Amino acid sequence: MNNIIEITDLYKSFGEVKAVHNLSFCVKKGELFAFLGVNGAGKSTTIGIICGQLAKDKGTVVIDGNDIDKNIDKIKTEIGVVFQNSVLDKALTVRDNLEFKASLYGIYGKEFEDRLKELSEMLDFSDILNRTVGKLSGGQRRRVDIARALFHKPKLLILDEPTTGLDPQTRKTLWNVISGLRKNENLTVFLTTHYMEEAAEADYVVILDSGKLIAEGTPLELKNKYTGDYITLYNTTEETVKNIGVEYEPIRDAFKIQIPNTEKATELIIKYPSVFKDYEITKGKMDDVFLSATGKKLEGRNEK
Amino acid sequence: MNTLFYLIRRNTKLFFKDKGMFFTSLITPCILLVLYAVFLGKIYRDSFVMGLPEGVELAEKLLNGAVSGQLISSILAVSCVTVAFCSNMLMVQDKANGSIRDFTISPVKKTALSLSYYFATLISTLLICFTTTAVCLVYVAVQGWYLSVSDVIVLIFDVFLLVLFGTALSSIINFFLSTQGQISAVGSMISSGYGFICGAYMPISQFPEVLQKVISFLPGTYGTSIIRNVAMRGVFSEMKADGVPDFAITQMKDAIDCNLYFFGNRVELGVMYAVLVCTIAVLIGVYVAMNVLNKKKG
Repeated sequence: MNNIIEITDLYKSFGEVKAVHNLSFCVKKGELFAFLGVNGAGKSTTIGIICGQLAKDKGTVVIDGNDIDKNIDKIKTEIGVVFQNSVLDKALTVRDNLEFKASLYGIYGKEFEDRLKELSEMLDFSDILNRTVGKLSGGQRRRVDIARALFHKPKLLILDEPTTGLDPQTRKTLWNVISGLRKNENLTVFLTTHYMEEAAEADYVVILDSGKLIAEGTPLELKNKYTGDYITLYNTTEETVKNIGVEYEPIRDAFKIQIPNTEKATELIIKYPSVFKDYEITKGKMDDVFLSATGKKLEGRNEK
Repeated sequence: MNTLFYLIRRNTKLFFKDKGMFFTSLITPCILLVLYAVFLGKIYRDSFVMGLPEGVELAEKLLNGAVSGQLISSILAVSCVTVAFCSNMLMVQDKANGSIRDFTISPVKKTALSLSYYFATLISTLLICFTTTAVCLVYVAVQGWYLSVSDVIVLIFDVFLLVLFGTALSSIINFFLSTQGQISAVGSMISSGYGFICGAYMPISQFPEVLQKVISFLPGTYGTSIIRNVAMRGVFSEMKADGVPDFAITQMKDAIDCNLYFFGNRVELGVMYAVLVCTIAVLIGVYVAMNVLNKKKG
C-alpha cells in the first residue's frame, strides 16, 4: 500500500457551518504534503478528525491501512503532531516535558534516555535539557515541540504551521531536520503553513476553501494550471520591449513580461532573438496559485 | 501503570511549581482557624455553657477543649473539600491551554488520564490538609488537650477519607469546566457554600426541620459529624467523669451534630463511615466513567 492517508467523501458540520464538505484526497508514504487554506477553510477540522479528536459526520478516513472508526488506538501510535500553539508545560524543564510525553507511548528508562540523546543531538537542544520551558526562546521551544512529536517515532508527522513566528535560521534548521527524517526514515509530513515558499517545496499540495477541495496537484502542476510564466528581460531599453507587442512591467533594472506558458516564451524568443540576449524565464509562485484558486491572499493569520 | 505514575508525577509537579497556588491553598485553612477562633469561639463557648444543667460547672481548660474541638472539626471538614477544589485546577488548565490535546492524540487510556488528575489532586490536598491537621492539633494542645493517641490516628484517617471524598467531588464538577474563569467561580461558590450545607459553619440542628431533612441526604454532612465525634470524644468523656449527666451530654452532642438523625432515627457512627466510603467509591466510579464515555467532540 502506497498511501498513508486516504480520505474519502469526508463531511463535518458544526451546526449550520459546513466545516468540511465532501473532501477526498490521499497522501503518499514519505512525501511532504502541503494542506493549504485560509483560516476557517477546514484544515484544523480535518486534522482533528485524522487524530481522532473530532468525530466525523460521514466519510472514511484510513491511516496506514487502519480505519479510524475501527483502529484508532493503533493510528494514534503512528501519528505525531506539532500543534500551532506549543503544548509544552512552561513550568517544567525540557527533560520533564519529554519524559512525560514519552511515558504516554510507554517509553521509559533506558529507551527514553537513548531517544532523548538522539533527538536532542538531532535538533540541537542538548544544552537546554534542564532549562524551564517558559524561559526558552520561540525557536528553542519549537525544536522541543518537534522532538516531543517525534519521540515515539511516528510514521506520519503533522505540522500545523510549525514555523510561524520563527527566525529564518531556526526555520532552516527545522526544515533540514525534517528533510533528513524524510530521507532516512521515510517519514511522511503533513504540513499546514502560511509560508508559500514552504508549500512550494512540497511533493503534493491540496488547497481547501470553505471546507471543499478546490485545487490539488504538485506545485508544478498547480503553477502551470493557475499561473503563467514570467520573462525578465535585462540590459535592454523600454523601446525595444515595446516592439515585442506584449504587456510588460518595468522593474528596477529590467522589464517583466507575463506570458501564459513556457511554449509562448519559446515562440517570443524565436521571433525576437535580438531582444532576448539577457533574460530569465520563471514559473509563477505558489502565492499566485493560491490567489488564483481561492481569490484570497494567504498572509500569516490575517487573510485578505 | 507506569504511564499513570508518570502522569501523576507530572500533575503533582505542576501543582507544586505554582507556588502561589500551593501557598494560598496552605494558608487558607490557617487563616480560617484564626478567624474561627476570633469570631466564633465565644459563640461556641456560650452555647456549651448554656447546654450545661444548672449547678454543673466545667473547668476552664475543659471548656476551651470543647470549643477548640468543635472549631477544628469545622475547619477540617470544610478544608478537606474546599482545598480539593483549589488543588484540582490542572484538569481545567490543561483544557484551557490545549495541553489536553497532546494527551488525547496519544494512545493513553482515558482511565489513566482521569485517575492521574484524581491522584495528583489527592496527594496535594492530603499534604495541605495534614499540615492543617497538625496546626489544628497544636491549637487544641494550647487550648485544652483531651485527645488520646488513637483519637489522633482516627482523626488523621477521617481527614484522609474526607479528602478522598472532596477530591472525587471536585473531579466530577471540574470535569464540566473548561476555562479559568469557570473554575474560579465554582471554587468561590464551594468555599462559601459548602461550610453551611455540611454543618461546619452552623450546626444542622439549628436549621429549619425541612432543611435538616434535605441536608441529611448529603454525604458531606456525615463527614463533618465523623470528624466532630473524634475531635470531641475526649472532651465528652472528661465531662462525664466530671459529673455532667448523660442526658446533658446527649443534648450537647445533638446540638453540635455529633449525633445526626435521618428522619428521626439516629445514625450510628459505623453507618456514617459506610455512607462516606460508599459515596467515595460511587463518585470515583462516576468520574472515571464520565471520562471513558466522554465521546469525541462534535
